[in-house]
Amino acid sequence: MSRTSARPARRARARRRVALAAAAVLGGTLLAACSEEGKPVLTWYINPDGVEVLDVIAERCSTDRYDIETELLPTGATDQRIQLARRLAAEDDTTDLMNLDPVFVPEFANAGWLEEMPDDVVTEDTLDGIAETVRWDDRIYAIPLWANTQVLWYRKSLAKEAGLDMSRPVTWDQVIDAASSVPGATVGVQANKYEAYVVWINALVQGAGGEIISDAEAGKDASVDIDSEAGRAAAAVIEKLAKSRAAQSDLSVSNEGTSLPAMFAGPGEFMTNWTFVYKNYAPSPENGITEEQYEDLGWARYPRTVPDMESRPPVGGIDVGVGAFSKHRDFAVEAAQCITDTDSQVALAVDAGLMPATATAYEAPELAEAYPPDLLELFRESVDSGGPRPKSAYYATISSAIQSVWHSPDSVDESTPKESADFLAEVLEGKALL
Amino acid sequence: MKQKIGLVLGVALVMLWCLLPIAWILSLSFKSQDAVSNGTDPGFLPLDSFTGWDNYTAVWDDEQFRRSILNSLGISLIATLLSVILATLAAYAIARLEFRGKKFVLTVALAIAMFPVVSLVSPLFDLWRTIGLYDTWPGLIIPYMSFTLPLAIWTLSAFFREIPWEMEQAAQVDGATSWQAFRKVIVPLAAPGVFTAAILTFFFAWNDFVFGITLTSTENARPIPAALSFFVGPDPFQRPAGLLAAAAVIATIPIVVIVLLFQRKIVAGLTSGAVKG
Amino acid sequence: MSSTYVATPEVDAGKTPPAGSDRSRAEGRLAAKLVAPAVIVMLVVTAFPILRALWLSFYSYSLTAPDDREFVGLSNYITALTDSLFWRDIGVTVLYMLVTVAIELVIGFIFAMVMHRVIFARGVIRTSILIPYGIITVVSGFAWQFAFTYQNGFVNGWLPFIDEQFNWFGDTTPAVIAIMVSEIWKTTPFMSLLLLAGLAQVSEDMIEAAKVDGATWWQRLWKVILPNMRAAIMVAVLFRALDAYRIFDNIYVMTAGAVGTESISFLTYRQTIEQFQLGMGSALAVLLFLSVLLVAFLIVKLFRVDLAQARGE
Repeated sequence: MSRTSARPARRARARRRVALAAAAVLGGTLLAACSEEGKPVLTWYINPDGVEVLDVIAERCSTDRYDIETELLPTGATDQRIQLARRLAAEDDTTDLMNLDPVFVPEFANAGWLEEMPDDVVTEDTLDGIAETVRWDDRIYAIPLWANTQVLWYRKSLAKEAGLDMSRPVTWDQVIDAASSVPGATVGVQANKYEAYVVWINALVQGAGGEIISDAEAGKDASVDIDSEAGRAAAAVIEKLAKSRAAQSDLSVSNEGTSLPAMFAGPGEFMTNWTFVYKNYAPSPENGITEEQYEDLGWARYPRTVPDMESRPPVGGIDVGVGAFSKHRDFAVEAAQCITDTDSQVALAVDAGLMPATATAYEAPELAEAYPPDLLELFRESVDSGGPRPKSAYYATISSAIQSVWHSPDSVDESTPKESADFLAEVLEGKALL
Repeated sequence: MKQKIGLVLGVALVMLWCLLPIAWILSLSFKSQDAVSNGTDPGFLPLDSFTGWDNYTAVWDDEQFRRSILNSLGISLIATLLSVILATLAAYAIARLEFRGKKFVLTVALAIAMFPVVSLVSPLFDLWRTIGLYDTWPGLIIPYMSFTLPLAIWTLSAFFREIPWEMEQAAQVDGATSWQAFRKVIVPLAAPGVFTAAILTFFFAWNDFVFGITLTSTENARPIPAALSFFVGPDPFQRPAGLLAAAAVIATIPIVVIVLLFQRKIVAGLTSGAVKG
Repeated sequence: MSSTYVATPEVDAGKTPPAGSDRSRAEGRLAAKLVAPAVIVMLVVTAFPILRALWLSFYSYSLTAPDDREFVGLSNYITALTDSLFWRDIGVTVLYMLVTVAIELVIGFIFAMVMHRVIFARGVIRTSILIPYGIITVVSGFAWQFAFTYQNGFVNGWLPFIDEQFNWFGDTTPAVIAIMVSEIWKTTPFMSLLLLAGLAQVSEDMIEAAKVDGATWWQRLWKVILPNMRAAIMVAVLFRALDAYRIFDNIYVMTAGAVGTESISFLTYRQTIEQFQLGMGSALAVLLFLSVLLVAFLIVKLFRVDLAQARGE
């Protein structure tokens, strides 16, 4: 989802852990249970994003009653989910704290793998879009650590040349037409056969007032709604881009990284992408971007699917959950609150480009120093008005079913929503293989 | 003369075929990560992008990778040792004793060697999580033993048949029991065979991937092949080719060492009637 | 990934003591003690799981929704067997098996001939051949994947008829070819060592005799060498084919099953491990197991027919 930094800071801690590990290996099983004085060690499974900052947070949130150790998960969201789910299904008592992609929360909570959190971990202060992701069945099962969202990044000079007024909300139609009108200009999206493609489809459908599925909490009995006006409006946008000359040549395998270089090549691009883009384009000798080019980088709210309806920007990020089988659940719940406090959120935003989940953190002076005020406001408003992906215990199934019908983008047309609705319904009933 | 040229050519071709990908992965391990991801140095050799040992030191500094090497070595060696001990006993019985159920043992071994491993992993995961073997060393050692035993039993029974039968009889005539005859006469003669079986078994365990990714979830027990496939690089959108290549080269060193030291024994083992792939 | 072994077990070798004697009973007891541990370990990890898979395959059961578990009878099997995805994956798997085994047979035979005839540099040849044999399949997958990618690989540059920008992993056919190359590279040594054992059994006298009779090299190969190696060839084919049918590692590393490269093992893996659909996954596991048996049965049938023909000649 966003940039990872190198991990030299882990080394010192790593050495300490190797010694610990070597001792435990003799028993065949490594239990991250107790250090010598009998002080509990909480294991915090983290995804490889902002690892250095998270290590500092783990250190800071360790107390004289317990220590927090981080454990790195694989890169891809799919692999992270598999590793965590298998540990939890095994009722592992050392899975104390974990970083969860928002879409994992309903799945894991429904399986009884997450410890319930106190109600006050989500307050008025928490941004709406991300607060929604930690609720399941009227209870709260995780605490938002950072909230990610997408905005429309573009070259100011390109918008000007195409005559697109960016001071007002734009639609996908306008963006694609504008890019097509300038030779060499493109529109960057994420349309590989993976989760981020579903992020795009979901945002398009919600932007037209629809849902992929509704009553998602009913699990297998949820109603599949993608075969609707909104679904067809979403398909129309994808079809239009795929057929237009503004489409990038690697559209069908594009991801968050592939469309980055197009921004400052030729006339540039319009690109929907996560918040990390801003830090990524900061001028440096390595990326070869000049101050002048950086000045030309513009941002606007996520494009509308239909002209008369507000867009629903995608919401991502990370929620921190506590394992239901953890030996030290109380400590872990306490630690989760420390891990997700304002200091942590500010540090993650400033040092790793991972934006906060609360209004208070957004108002911290450090952020105002690191980001332009209008960009901060845009991020915050996007998360607040963003739409979550379907909250379902079968989310992985739903996502794969959508991907398998909607990919490749070249094949999307007005019949796609109906096709995917039929397929998804069959898959949920166990009548088709995925 | 013509034949000789043909042979030299043949030898050259065999070596080229076998060693080209090895040379490639070595070359990749010396290329800088930037050059690989941006495709600035696409040739076979690391020309402008030579980074020396950078990738190796970076990989070696990765704690997860070091743990996986340790896991793989430990798990493979223990599985090999136990498997070869059990197989030696079974193979002796099969090669030298008459008993009912010999066909059964051989059939079981044959069936297991043909078993599609993937069809086992889900129920095995369920069983392991219930009895607490999930993500532990024994959790991998046991399946490795099961799947290396057929190979070891067949290799060893082939070796045991080569051992002169009369010597054991002679020992028995001298008053030794079957057990003593086995221990005093057969064991020393069988040692080279046992050794070969051990190497082949080790190769299997070292190579395993399916159990490695499904029965582990952290560095507690994750072996090298699984660790390689989950390798986290600095860029989440691209496989860290240079680092992965360096890790792959390190993971191949034990294989190369064993091959260099024991190539004659391995070929003998593979071609002596029992073969593994 | 998996092991195959070939043997010509002379089960009846050795002496056969008279049945019912004390000595025979003692031998039986000893044998039982010696064999039992190995048999138990082999069965623990296979018999129980496959029975459990059979049982679970009658349920609709998702790991993340344990409360929704319900008995559905044969429904999972019916779904799988009537699904086009299942049959496409079976087709792809059979294709992997046929093509890789056929090519390995040819290359493996050439390797075996070279190793058999060569009198110099034997150690070097043996070492070169054993490295692909011993290397981790995942490493082979990575090496070839990087070799085939157009951004940084060398394959496009070396093949004159391929465009520099050609994306091997963008479409089914080229991606399947790339996976096959890795599979063939890794397993040809196994095939060649088996064939080497077969070559060693062909008597030099017969070849000499054919030479004296004026047979050309080609005739000697087809009329003398190959027929006499038939058993070794068939055994090699049987075990490599079963191994290739279970192909998984290379697919996982090189394409993760994308663009239609998925094998039946990979489909089973995805259902159980990625989708957590234990019911459907178990049904597929059982079908995978049965299809391996079927493949083995078919090849063994073929093998016997061939042996009979060989004897008839």
